[in-house]
Amino acid sequence: MSTLKQLASKFLGHDSVFARRTAGGIQPPSFKEHSLRSRIMSTPIPPQLTIPIGAESSGEITRLVDIGEQVLKYQKLAVISLSAKGRSDVPVHAPTSGVITSIENSIVADHSQQQQLCINLTVDGHDKALPLEPHTNHAQLSSADLVSLIRDAGVIGMGGAGFPAADKLRACSVLPIEFLIINAAECEPYISADEALLRERANRVVLGAEILKRASAAQRCLIAIEDTKPDAIAAIKQALQNEASHQPCCELVLVPSKYPAGSEKQLIQCVTGIEIATGQHPTEHGIVMHNVGTAYAAYEAIIEGKPCISRFTTLCGQALKTPKNFEVLIGTAAGFLFELCGIEANKKQKSIVGGSLMGSELGNDKAATCKTTNCLIAASSNELQAPKEAQACIRCGYCADACPSKLLPQQLLAFSKTLDTTQLLEHGLLDCIECGACDYVCPSQIPLVSTYKQSKKFIKTRRHSLEYSDYWQQRFQFRQYRVKKEKDQALSRKLNAPLQSMQAAEPAPKGQNDEADFISKEQASRDIAAAVARVKARRNEKNK
Amino acid sequence: MSALKAGAPFQHSGRNITQLMQTLMYALLPGIFASLWYFGFGILINIAIAITFAVLAEAAMLRLRNRDIRSHLGDKSALVTALLFAIAIPPGSPWWLVALGIVFAIVIAKHLYGGLGQNPFNPAMCGYAMLLLAFPLEMTGWHIPFEVITEPQPTDNLGIPILTVEREFLSPLSWGGFKQALLLAFPFAASGVIDISDFVDGLAMATPLIEFKMAGKSALLTARESGASLFARESETAWEIINISYLLGGLFLLYKRIISWHIPLAIIATVFVLAALFYAPGSVAIYGTPYLHLFGSATMIGAFFIATDPVSAATTRPGKLVYGIIIGVSIYSIRVWGSYLDSIAFAVLFGNFCAPVLDQYCRPRIFGHGLRSKSRPNEAPVKRE
Amino acid sequence: MLLFALVLVKITRYLTRQVTAQKSLVNRINRALPQTQCGQCGHPGCLPYARSISLGEASNKCPPGGQETILELAELLNEPVRGLDPAHGQFRDFSVAVIREDECIGCTKCIQACPVDAILGGPKLMHTVITSECTGCDLCVEPCPVDCIDMINHLAPAISHTTPPYFDLRSSLGVNT
Repeated sequence: MSTLKQLASKFLGHDSVFARRTAGGIQPPSFKEHSLRSRIMSTPIPPQLTIPIGAESSGEITRLVDIGEQVLKYQKLAVISLSAKGRSDVPVHAPTSGVITSIENSIVADHSQQQQLCINLTVDGHDKALPLEPHTNHAQLSSADLVSLIRDAGVIGMGGAGFPAADKLRACSVLPIEFLIINAAECEPYISADEALLRERANRVVLGAEILKRASAAQRCLIAIEDTKPDAIAAIKQALQNEASHQPCCELVLVPSKYPAGSEKQLIQCVTGIEIATGQHPTEHGIVMHNVGTAYAAYEAIIEGKPCISRFTTLCGQALKTPKNFEVLIGTAAGFLFELCGIEANKKQKSIVGGSLMGSELGNDKAATCKTTNCLIAASSNELQAPKEAQACIRCGYCADACPSKLLPQQLLAFSKTLDTTQLLEHGLLDCIECGACDYVCPSQIPLVSTYKQSKKFIKTRRHSLEYSDYWQQRFQFRQYRVKKEKDQALSRKLNAPLQSMQAAEPAPKGQNDEADFISKEQASRDIAAAVARVKARRNEKNK
Repeated sequence: MSALKAGAPFQHSGRNITQLMQTLMYALLPGIFASLWYFGFGILINIAIAITFAVLAEAAMLRLRNRDIRSHLGDKSALVTALLFAIAIPPGSPWWLVALGIVFAIVIAKHLYGGLGQNPFNPAMCGYAMLLLAFPLEMTGWHIPFEVITEPQPTDNLGIPILTVEREFLSPLSWGGFKQALLLAFPFAASGVIDISDFVDGLAMATPLIEFKMAGKSALLTARESGASLFARESETAWEIINISYLLGGLFLLYKRIISWHIPLAIIATVFVLAALFYAPGSVAIYGTPYLHLFGSATMIGAFFIATDPVSAATTRPGKLVYGIIIGVSIYSIRVWGSYLDSIAFAVLFGNFCAPVLDQYCRPRIFGHGLRSKSRPNEAPVKRE
Repeated sequence: MLLFALVLVKITRYLTRQVTAQKSLVNRINRALPQTQCGQCGHPGCLPYARSISLGEASNKCPPGGQETILELAELLNEPVRGLDPAHGQFRDFSVAVIREDECIGCTKCIQACPVDAILGGPKLMHTVITSECTGCDLCVEPCPVDCIDMINHLAPAISHTTPPYFDLRSSLGVNT
């Protein structure tokens, strides 16, 4: 087999690893050519940046700056501590110099559409920066040093999940890693940021890949890219040739172009032939995957010593006159970027963050870009419209053919309608990666993914309540037991009381006791009333 | 479940049911043209009657069920049912037979089960099976093209108008043929012109499978050897040409990815294998050649158009294969050992019976499930502090 | 043949009896109920309601159980599925009680109301809900004299302007607003 591979690699002219066929998948029109017409552009510094530092659920946030404070470019603003989730901390840096005006919750352009705590930075325009500490020769650094530098630069997975890159690398120190896969597949329509990045800065990406390879101590590094991106492929080949004076650090793998080729487990199967079982982590098989953008960020973090303050984002959609790829400062408002591309406001029907198949609708163009915002679409009224009214499922099975997880969406739909949790789990609802391929092909235009999301939520709630119901019952019974016991004790004390007092030979008059009781009760109720009044007064004051 | 937000995928392939149904109808065209060529206008009249009554029945049922008539009629599924039904019915059947069958198909087999997507059985075949059970005589009367040339004396047979026309060496596609076909469909209009009983009596009853049972040879091949034109109506090649036309239509559907290859392939392969296994060349037994089984009767239309009806078929890939095999076995065994002439309807209905079970038990392995544990020995599980 | 059938009937009957003896109907009904002990059905706790259902009360009076509980009970009791009785409340997502601690006056009324002892605190001392113990039964909200208890959607913490945030990040960061 290996000789075959070698033969094939000679024949194909690049160091090739066979890409294997993966199940399902669709080939939607990609619309990437519009944004790839021009080169990557750095955005001008916007007057206002809204730097997201974390969602409510993400973890504890340590703020390092105060409102009104002057900050410099690259200055650390906050650290999100994810130690509760067993992850390392992620710092957030200032993309430019300016004054912090406020810190408040606002919407961020990412998939979850949750509010995040954001630092509002009014830019002074001087772009005064802290000095950087470049490490031009990364070979001198140990793998642990590389990991800690990458962590300090605040690099997270740029592909979309936003998992701290350092954690992925650190997991590699426990298990031996055979493959580092650089995911450049970028299969989702409209998004072209990775392709543009490779086309223009392949050298740096390859260098970044080498850094990641060293940091994770991987034996081989594979750059997986869709075979429909000739410019990017040529650029990588060129970069590998430049690099490979002694020995190429990376191998190029062309994967067949289909959606969702870039999904982690699907790409691993495509490239290495290993199928990651449900619930397993790729590192258990000696595989770790990073996005191209992450490799580039690693390059910047090590070679230039620059923290992660920008990312590559595609701006496209028919409402934009000049769609293109931007190197965007984290915190730039989506609307600012749309303006830069010459948005025709009357043409725009809706904005979408992410690609056309897994993205979500952006409610507000003021939303700030974050480290995982890979694409912003300003859709006109004749593209990406919500499907018409769903028709009945005719069980054509196109969805089953398209499903990359080999699920049976038509059956899942039927079971979702009856909320048959046993069957839903049996049919692997929880293995659905929500890629939207089934929706794409459905001739009845049924919102399948939305239905599955609801069913998943339902199952989650149901599981939660089942898990708890036994416990709650126990607690309830214990309380009943406690209350009864206390009552019994009180009763026995009352019965014993006269006996005791007789023994003490000093019987207290009964009425006095009652009076004392009454007084204390009165006192208590007066106290309560006073407290209520106080709280009410305070609340009124607050409302004013 | 009703308050779904329009979320995640914003892009859509643009395919819709109407389009699917239209493509299906286009794919039926070659077969219909071939039938038209050999059987005359009877098939077109069947189609016209079936479509009329199908649309009326569908509209009435939608009205009764309080559904939007325009959008539901627009999916054209009723038209496809009507077409498939009309093709299955012998040309020259009286109008009431066609109407009864299609109304049964639409009202009882489709809408009483909940309409499109809910019917457990193929509606067209339900209608056909009902007619076959209720009107066995009417349902087995086919005009067999080759009978024309077996009539030496035109005056010997006054029965069938088409034969009368053929006798005069007029094509069934001529005006005369059309008129005769109309009279066959609407016998009440014929009174005074031709005696109805004449042509009822004269209806030939045969399918090629029966006729050719002992031939064991392709009519196409015979025709070529004898130098006759393949498309000549007298060359006995009708069924084979019609089947090849349906095969072409089916291949078009496969090419357009309207249907998957699993069901047709499983049916054809099963019928072929069984026919090959049981074929006894010397004997005068009822077993035909594999070729005859595939092209001598309605196998192709069954395999590509009727068994693949998505609503009532199995939908998982392994399920589709098993479903096809079940239908293939049924087709062969009903033909050979059963008492019905053609078996597609019953075979498909039997397959429909099995489909829900197949969907439940013949499932593909889910990605990431049922793998042998590949975790390497002597290694600690992933630890993350 | 008849004999065989009779034997079969006997065996099945015996088996079913065994099963039912093991798991009495009340137990099975109780198992299907969500055990929030909220009392929205009009009974003091889930077990009393389960007893009452086994004696013929309608099984569609449990809002916290959701559609699933209704389906499960209908199947268990071999009854047609009915919608939730609106007189007993509406379906809603699981939520937990959270005390706005700066407003709490320490009256202990909520502690007495809590069916599962999920509230900590003493007289005139600030109370707090142990989130992991809370069943979301709502029973502590009504007795609070200063209305400082909120029911917060727990599985998906979301912030809106009408309800105060579950974790007030701003105050944890020391930011004044």
